[in-house]
Amino acid sequence: MKYVWICLLLAIGSSACSQLDKHQKHKIVRIRWVRDPENLSPLVQPNQNAVDALNLLHCSLLQLDVATGTHVPALADSLPSVHLVGDSLTELSYQLRRAATWDNGRPVLATDVAFTLKLYQCPGLPNERARAQLSFIRAIKLDTAAPRRFTLVCRGQAPDFRLETGDFPVLPETTLDAKHTLRRYSLAQLANLPGLPSRDTALSALVSRYQHADPSHHPERLPGCGAYRLRAWEIDRFLTFVRKPHWWADTLRPTPFVLQARPRQLTYLIIPDETSAALALRRHELDVLPQLTARAFKHLREDDSTKQELSFYSLASYELLMAGFNTRQPILRDSLTRQALARLFDPAKLLQATQLGQGLRTASLVHPGNRRYYNDSLALPIYDPRQTVSLLKQAGWQRQATGWVPAKSKHTPQPLKIRMRYRADDAVFATVGLQFKSAATALGIPVELLPTEASSLTTALQEGDFDIYVRKLSSTPFAFDFTMLLHSRAIPKSNFTKFSTRTTDRLIDAIAATGAPAQKRKLLRRFQTIIQQQTPLVPLFFLPYRLATARELQHLYPSGYKPGYYAAAATWNIAGSIPAAAQ
Amino acid sequence: MRRWLLLQLGRAGLAAWATASLVFILSRLLAVGTEDAMLSSGNDLQVRTASTSAVARQALRQRLGLDEPVFYVTRISRNSASWRWHGTHNQYHHWLAGLLHGQLGWSYRDGQPIGPKLRTALVYTLPLAGLAAVAATLVALALGLVLAGGPLAASLTSGRAALHLVLSSLQGIPVFMLALGLLFLFANPDALDLLPAYSLADNPDGLLLGAYLLQLIMPVLTLVLAVLPELALPLAAALRHELRADYVTTARAKGVPAASLLRRHALPNALPPLLTSFASLLPSLLAGTVVVESVFSLPGVGRLLAEAAAAHDYPVVVAGVLVTAGVRLLGLALADALYALADPRIRLAL
Repeated sequence: MKYVWICLLLAIGSSACSQLDKHQKHKIVRIRWVRDPENLSPLVQPNQNAVDALNLLHCSLLQLDVATGTHVPALADSLPSVHLVGDSLTELSYQLRRAATWDNGRPVLATDVAFTLKLYQCPGLPNERARAQLSFIRAIKLDTAAPRRFTLVCRGQAPDFRLETGDFPVLPETTLDAKHTLRRYSLAQLANLPGLPSRDTALSALVSRYQHADPSHHPERLPGCGAYRLRAWEIDRFLTFVRKPHWWADTLRPTPFVLQARPRQLTYLIIPDETSAALALRRHELDVLPQLTARAFKHLREDDSTKQELSFYSLASYELLMAGFNTRQPILRDSLTRQALARLFDPAKLLQATQLGQGLRTASLVHPGNRRYYNDSLALPIYDPRQTVSLLKQAGWQRQATGWVPAKSKHTPQPLKIRMRYRADDAVFATVGLQFKSAATALGIPVELLPTEASSLTTALQEGDFDIYVRKLSSTPFAFDFTMLLHSRAIPKSNFTKFSTRTTDRLIDAIAATGAPAQKRKLLRRFQTIIQQQTPLVPLFFLPYRLATARELQHLYPSGYKPGYYAAAATWNIAGSIPAAAQ
Repeated sequence: MRRWLLLQLGRAGLAAWATASLVFILSRLLAVGTEDAMLSSGNDLQVRTASTSAVARQALRQRLGLDEPVFYVTRISRNSASWRWHGTHNQYHHWLAGLLHGQLGWSYRDGQPIGPKLRTALVYTLPLAGLAAVAATLVALALGLVLAGGPLAASLTSGRAALHLVLSSLQGIPVFMLALGLLFLFANPDALDLLPAYSLADNPDGLLLGAYLLQLIMPVLTLVLAVLPELALPLAAALRHELRADYVTTARAKGVPAASLLRRHALPNALPPLLTSFASLLPSLLAGTVVVESVFSLPGVGRLLAEAAAAHDYPVVVAGVLVTAGVRLLGLALADALYALADPRIRLAL
C-alpha cells in the first residue's frame, strides 16, 4: 500500500510539471537569477537583477541596443540635441515619442520626466544613490507650446551627458502626485535641500504617499510604461512578468530593437547554486542559464547528451581583471620595480586556467574591441621572469642570500617583499595570487597572500594596507572617465594605487571633457601609453560572459553587456511562438 | 514542573537577549561597508559614483538610524577615559524597545520589517527541519536497535558492521556534498532523473501539494543523512552497554524475548545519550538548512541569514541570532524535560 502512495505522489508531481511544460513552453521564457532583486523601486536599484526587472516595467529616454552596442532612443523620439552654454553648462533637448502612453492611455509628457527627476532629488526618500548620480542635472525647461519637448540643463560639459541624462526610468506623475505639488519646486531647489526628511508639509506628504505605496515590493502601485507588468513575486523564489496585451510600442513600425517585447511571459527563477541551475536546464525546468562559471560551462558543453539540446555562447565582457600597485609604498615607488613585478603575472596561462581561454587579453583599460580608442601599438603584458630580474637590477635592487635589497641605501635596507590583497570569495583572485606567488618565490621575492572579506578590503585598500591588489573592474564601452581610478582627486577613496601625476590628471580631465572622436582618440592613446610605462596597474584580461540556453530559444542576442543577453527579444523556434513581425 | 518550565523559558529568553545584544553592539561598532554595499557596487568605473558623495552617505546613515550613538554610553575618544551619557537616544535602546513591542527592526537592504520576513522564511524551514528531525529520530531509533543487535541480530552480523561503517562514513561527509550527491543521483538526466532540480515556480498561482512534497524529498533526506550518525551511533553504543548489564542478564534468564528485552528494558535506560544528541539536533538542523536551502533553492531562514550576513544586513543577522539562540536554548530545556521523563531518578533543579 505504501508503495502505491509513493507512486501516486510521484505521478501527481511529475504530471503537473510536464503538463505545464507542454502548454506553456511556447509562451514562457524561464531565466536563472542567482539572487533576488530585493527591491523594485526605481529610486533604489540595488543590483543588476533589479535593473533588469525595472527595464521590463519602465522605459527610459534612451536604452542600450545590445545588437549594435549603442544607446538609442526609447521613450525619446531621437537622440538629444546638445548645446554648450558658456564653459560650464550643457543643455540637452529631448522630444518624447508621440505614441508613448501610460497603461490608462494618458500620454507620456515632459511633465512626467520633470516629476521623475524631482522625485529622484526629493529629500526623505530612499534615493541617496540616484540623488548623487543625477545631481549634475540642475534644471528642466518645459516647452509650453510642445508638451512632449523639454530641455535638461546640466552642470559641466561632458560627452557622457548624452547617455547619463537618458538613463533612468520615467515615472507617471499622476500616480504619486495627482495634485502636482512637486511642480512648485525647481529641480535645483530640491537638489540643494539636505537629504533628510523635510519639514515642508507638501514634500513630507509626498514622501508619505511614496512610503505607503511601497513600490519597492509593489511595483504595480507605480506602474511604468514598459512592456511588462509584474504578475507574481515570491521573494527568493521567482518573479513572473507578463506582457501587456496592448502596449504603446506595438503601434510603432518598424519596432525599434529596444522596444521589442516578444515573450508573453518572462519568469526569473532564483537558483543560488550553479549545479542545481545546470541540472534544471538539462531537465527543461529552465531555458536560460547566464553567468556560467568556466567549469560548469565546460561540463555542459562536453556532455554528449546536452550538446543536442542546448546552445552555448561565450563573449568577452567589459569586466576587467586587473592588479594594482600601491605606488606610495617605498619599495614600489619606482616604475621600473612595478614593471618588473608586472612581468610575474602570466595573463595567458591565467586566462586558460580560470576561463578556459575565453575572454580577451588587453594592454590597457580600454576594451580591445573598441578599435577607435584602444591603443593597439602597446604590447600585451607577458610573463617574463628574466626581464623581471633585469628590470629589478636596473631599478637598483640586488639579490642576496636573504632576498632582494636596494643596492644603495642610506638607511636600513627594506627588502623586496610583497603583500597581495584580494577578495576572499572569488577563486579567480586566489588563482592569480597563487600564480604570482609561485613566480615571485622562484626569484626569491617573498609574497604574502591576504584574501580579505569584501567590505574590509575596501577599507584596507583605502588605508594603503597592501602592496598589490587584485580586483575586477566593471566598465562599459562608453566609459572613458578614469577619474575614479587614477586621478589625484580620488585618492584614497577609489584611487587605491595612489598614483597620480600632473600629466595624467590633465589627460584624465581632458578625456572626460572631449567629445570630438579624433581628439579623444589621441588623448586616450597617449593616456594608455603613459599608464603602461608607469605601470600603476596591470590589466590582465577582460572576463567572458557565458550563457547556455535551450536550443529552440532564439534571438537572445548574447553580448558582453550586462546581463549578457536581451530577454525581451527572445523567441521560441516552435509552432505557436509569436512571430517577430507581429510585434 | 510548570514552575521549572517557566524558569527555563525565562533563562532561555535572558540568554538569547544577552547573545543578541552582544551581536548587535559588535555589529554596530565594527560595522564597515554598510554604506558602500548600499551606495555602490564597488567595482564600477563610474563618473559620478555615489560612494564618493559624503552627503549621500550622511543621508543614508540618517535614514538607517546609524548616525545615532550605538549605546547609552560611549567613550569620548579612543585615548580618553571619560564617558558620555546619551540617554535613550541610542541605537540599542531603539532596538530593545522595538523588541519588547515585538518588532525585530527593518532590513537595510529592502527596508522591509524583519518579523514578516522571518515568518515567511520559517514557512519553508519549519516543515523542512521538522520533517527531518522526526524522520532522523525515528530512523536513528530503528538503526540503533538494529546495530545493537535487534531481533534479526543473528542474520545481520555482517550487515550491522556494514551499516556501522556507512554511518561512520556519513559522519565525515560535509552537508553540501551530501546535497550535491543526492542532486546528481535523483535529479540528473544521466542518473535516476526522478525528482525536480527546481520546480516550484512552474505554477505561480498555487503550489501543487505533490510538487511541493517532491521538492522537499531531497532537502529532508540530506538533513536526515547529515544528523543520522550523531543520533544513531551513540544510541547503539548505549544500547550495547545496557545489554551487558546484570538486569538484562536476569531478564534474559527469565525468558524475556530478545526484541522485548531491547525495547522495553534496554532502550529506556539507553535514551539519555539520544536526548543529549537531540538537544544539539535543532541547531545542527538549522546550520544544515543554510547549505540545503541554497543548494535546493528554498527561501528559508538559513538562506536568509547567510545572504544577510554576506550583504552586511545587520538587523536581519541580529534577528537571526536571536531566533537561533532561542532555538538552541529551548532545545536544551526540552532535553532536560525529556531526561526527567525518561529517568524518574533525575530531579529538575530550580
